[in-house]
Amino acid sequence: MARFLARRLLFALVLVLVVSSASLVLARLAPGDVSAQLGPFASPTEIASTRARFGLDRSPAAQWTLWAGRALRFEFGESFLYNRPVRGLIGRAAANTAALAVVALAAATLLGIPLGMFTGSRRGAGAALVRGASLVFLSVPPLLTSLILVFIAATTRLFPPGGMTTAGALEVGWSAWLLDVAIHIPLPALALALPIAATFERLQSQSMTEALHQPFALAALARGVAPRDVIVRHAWRVSLRPICAVYGLAIGALLSGSFIVEFVTAWPGLGRLMYEALRARDIYLVAGCAAMGGLFLAFGSLIGDLLLAAADPRVRERQAA
Amino acid sequence: MLVTAGLLAAFVLVMRLGRDLGRDGVSGGGGGPAARGGQIVASIRGEPRTFNRYVAQDQTSEALSLLLQARLVRINRATFELEPWLAEKWESSPDGRTHTIHLRPGLTWSDGTPLTSADVLFSLRAIYDPKVESVLADSLTAGGQPLRAAAPDAQTVVVTFAAPSGRGVRLLDGLPILPKHKLEAALTAGTFASAYNTTTPPADVVGAGPFVLREYQPGQRVVLDRNPRYWRKAPDGSPLPYLDRIVLQIVPEQNAELLRIQSGETDLTSTELRPEDYVPIRRAEEEGRLRLIELGVGPDADALWFCLKPEVKGKDPRFAFVQRPEFRRAISYAVDREAFAETVFLSAAVPVWGPITPGNPNWFWPDIPRYPHDDDRARMLLREIGLEDRNGNGVVEDAAGTEARFTVITQRGIGWYERGTAVVRDELAGIGIALEIAPLELGALIQRLQACDYDAMYYRPVFNDLDPAANLDFWLSSGSSHFWNMSQKTPATDWERRIDTLMLEQAAELNPDRRIMQFRLVQQIMAENLPVLHFAAPRMYYAHSARLQGVVPSVLRPPVLWNADGLSVSQ
Amino acid sequence: MRRAGQVLLGLVVLIAAAAPWLAPNPPDRAFTELLYAPPTPIRFTPRLRLSPEEGFGAAGLFMYPQRLVSRLERRFEEDRQHPAALEWFTGGRLVTVAEAQGGPLLLLGADRFGRDTFSRLLYGARASLALAAVATVLALAIGALVGGVAGYAGGTVDDLLSRFTDFVLVLPAIYVALALRAVMPLVLPPATVFVGLTGIFALLGWPIVARGVRAIIASERERDYALAVHALGARPSRILLRHLLPAAGGYLGVQATLLLPAFILAEATLSYVGLGFPETVPTWGTLLQEAANVSLLAEAPWMLAPAAAIFIVVLAVNLAVQGTGRAPVQLEP
Repeated sequence: MARFLARRLLFALVLVLVVSSASLVLARLAPGDVSAQLGPFASPTEIASTRARFGLDRSPAAQWTLWAGRALRFEFGESFLYNRPVRGLIGRAAANTAALAVVALAAATLLGIPLGMFTGSRRGAGAALVRGASLVFLSVPPLLTSLILVFIAATTRLFPPGGMTTAGALEVGWSAWLLDVAIHIPLPALALALPIAATFERLQSQSMTEALHQPFALAALARGVAPRDVIVRHAWRVSLRPICAVYGLAIGALLSGSFIVEFVTAWPGLGRLMYEALRARDIYLVAGCAAMGGLFLAFGSLIGDLLLAAADPRVRERQAA
Repeated sequence: MLVTAGLLAAFVLVMRLGRDLGRDGVSGGGGGPAARGGQIVASIRGEPRTFNRYVAQDQTSEALSLLLQARLVRINRATFELEPWLAEKWESSPDGRTHTIHLRPGLTWSDGTPLTSADVLFSLRAIYDPKVESVLADSLTAGGQPLRAAAPDAQTVVVTFAAPSGRGVRLLDGLPILPKHKLEAALTAGTFASAYNTTTPPADVVGAGPFVLREYQPGQRVVLDRNPRYWRKAPDGSPLPYLDRIVLQIVPEQNAELLRIQSGETDLTSTELRPEDYVPIRRAEEEGRLRLIELGVGPDADALWFCLKPEVKGKDPRFAFVQRPEFRRAISYAVDREAFAETVFLSAAVPVWGPITPGNPNWFWPDIPRYPHDDDRARMLLREIGLEDRNGNGVVEDAAGTEARFTVITQRGIGWYERGTAVVRDELAGIGIALEIAPLELGALIQRLQACDYDAMYYRPVFNDLDPAANLDFWLSSGSSHFWNMSQKTPATDWERRIDTLMLEQAAELNPDRRIMQFRLVQQIMAENLPVLHFAAPRMYYAHSARLQGVVPSVLRPPVLWNADGLSVSQ
Repeated sequence: MRRAGQVLLGLVVLIAAAAPWLAPNPPDRAFTELLYAPPTPIRFTPRLRLSPEEGFGAAGLFMYPQRLVSRLERRFEEDRQHPAALEWFTGGRLVTVAEAQGGPLLLLGADRFGRDTFSRLLYGARASLALAAVATVLALAIGALVGGVAGYAGGTVDDLLSRFTDFVLVLPAIYVALALRAVMPLVLPPATVFVGLTGIFALLGWPIVARGVRAIIASERERDYALAVHALGARPSRILLRHLLPAAGGYLGVQATLLLPAFILAEATLSYVGLGFPETVPTWGTLLQEAANVSLLAEAPWMLAPAAAIFIVVLAVNLAVQGTGRAPVQLEP
């Protein structure tokens, strides 16, 4: 187990290094640089000093060496857009994205699994309706869902059409701030969660049906176990395995989906930050965001693999080998 | 299942209950024409990069500077008159080179320290300090030289100009006064440029403006509280500002800004409306949620220009005819400006033939030479310089066969740029000039502008000061914003040399009428040579929430916050 | 259900292919008098026109031309004095109304340039579907090759390729796509953008395919028929290509149905944030950019039509893939 974790950790570090270096070099090679953000009225001295500040007067190789050296000391450079160290910015944005992802995953699980159990264990109009709805939500990607939800929010004004906190809210303690965030999070979380919930529902439904076809289900019924118990206590545990397999992929889907949802709903997360940084060619911020994204994904896939190992003993054995 | 349903219900409940959170925040007393207290939320587009106006000149920095700091005098952005501000009165010598400025008695900084002439001297020192590389240094000059100042006593400053300047004391509107007691150490140590940055503790960002910094959350908002020691009083003697708090929310995109003001989350936007936003805002006005104001014609018009830098374009065979004024005049004749205003700005614009529009009433010249829409004259002009469609493919070419084909770069995503370039392209196709439009991100656009790496560009440069003498960077051939040929060592053309001379004269001229005449000559030369072509100037519309009172809108940015100390909210 | 999905998909492809015929107007024709015009209502009078002068027409489908009342207020009114009959099979189009007769026919209104949204939607289908299809084929090809070689060769080659595959798999795809598109010069002819995006998508999509193919090939390799062919002296490349890879055919088919919608969405996402095609090229993604102005949507909900189109395609693909599976069990009475 320890060896497994150590290997994954090493893998994650290498990934982060490669992804961030690649982004740095790519952003450098892109046409245009950060000094263009100064606008059309900037003086040549302003432009030159900005370029020097971000190492743009050196070659890409020299700049990378300098950056890598500082990165090892956990100094990731400064952002032009925010005029402050990259580290703090990434941390905050990553926390916002993580919060969104966790809520979305929780929502998807709480929606998808029970509904899947429901449709996998009965026929009838209700189950057919849910199955149909699943198919619909599977086909509406986060971009469209967020556009539609923002549209609904803006016209009905039932809930805020974006952002993470109400602009005018005063600094009133933790609980009120949490409440404020709690009002703003359903919109983006729902946009992210719906396709994943639909996937969970479909998978859970199929594997529940499979499980109920197994002899043990019939045997339990014959023994006199109530149908409800057969479903919940016996069949469900067996049916969980495919879901665990998919959890890791779901986390990956969350990360890529979160970019566009953050964009449309103005959620101040990592995806949004990376996009702004790319547009402005804010080179160190780009590298930092890419690194964080890579870290997230490595972490997420680790969780996924651990869950899979927990669910399927064969995987555990293979990994130990 | 039940668990899920229960959680869903809980969410819905929380949303309905919590909707009132922070909506109106602190409310003050009621009644009266200008109620005290309350807070407003305004959106800003850009992230604050620093709270030190001396080293940044973006829109957000300017807005923050107007809110947090004060100047000696203020140019009222609605009437363009000079008002006493920190200075109570001043006298100018007849030759216009010495101005004696008297500060108001009893001025204090937001932390209670008295504001004296020493602070004014310090501010000037900081601006001209070479280590600071202040962006304000170039504009705070007279005759190209820095201003000199002396302080005979704590309430008086004597400012000396190296040469007479037509703008005179108005120059000082561009000098926010910063506190010596807070920043002198940084100036001496050479770290002034990074003083008052975004990580400085808010309590240390001391100023004399109507508001003080309370907190800054990167990526989210800036919160400002009223300055209890602000010097200005309302006409009835009560202290200003009326508002207790201003929240500046950072919303990078115009669509999102619009959404927020419509849903009631914000009270103000950072810029004027686009023509396509008129309809939803009008609807909101009819429902009583917003107020729509028309400010009249804006001071800036969209411009089309070709890069005329001989060092870069000299080898380009097209340059031979592009550099001829007849070419540009032909283009001016070819565009039907009425139709342009209709299509591009949805009729909310007026035709213009030069960079100064009716929205700049002091400097606008109604009799500027015009080019009425006349395709035949345009084609005749092109023939005069040897451009004809010899091979019948619809595009004119010169005797050597070089076609008049160009790529126009512009900023992507802006409705009127896209429509404007499309209209110009269609009009010019009628006289045989082929244009291809290439929308770019702003960063890439600026890059190409500075390198002269483009054929033609279509853009609206926004000037923050209506006085042409404040924009010498654009008018002078040596200027870094002389877009069609920036930073020339010597004037490339005769007419640019004449403009240089006239502009410098005009900047030093004390008689306002003579200044206007001189500038008209400049406009005449521009209209004859047309290095930049202007077609229409849009009318400006602005929206704010219905609860906001005391709004004095301006065509300059920021449209409302420049007069923040007069704003209040009705209950 | 499956049949329905396949039929729907086929229909979409047909519509895309026939876009120039189905579209009432050219996609880049800008009607400057009709910016943001609403959809043209089609009316019906029960009157058959059979004479050549009046033009052949089905029982009197016609429209009233839209006249501009106020640009700023985006108000239009119908010109009831001059009804214009819908013309069928004229001018190389299924149905259209010539401008001289009172056109254009705007089935989904016009965008901010006055271009026909419906026509652009149809033409956009071609670009979006073509991009997704080509990228899918490429991703499948690369993935099958890499996975096949890894599965067949085994040993260090397998190890190396598998690590590399895992590595690319774990890259945050959207960040890489964004970054790669952003580094391509922003002024690019649409053809270059097409090739560029296809390349990027294929590069990001092949690892999933490779993983599965590798697993299949690795197990197929031990089967009797594979050993037999090997004993007969066939070259490894022939064994791989002719005998083993076909076993992965089913898997490749399923992967295709996963990748296709993903690529359509990726194009839409990148174009929506401005890093895909330039706005002048109609694709579903660039059409959605108009929808970014949400307050506009309230006035003009038909602007969300590209979203509906994407939804239909993805739904069709999902329907077409539905496994028959087992019949649901009803335990409770």
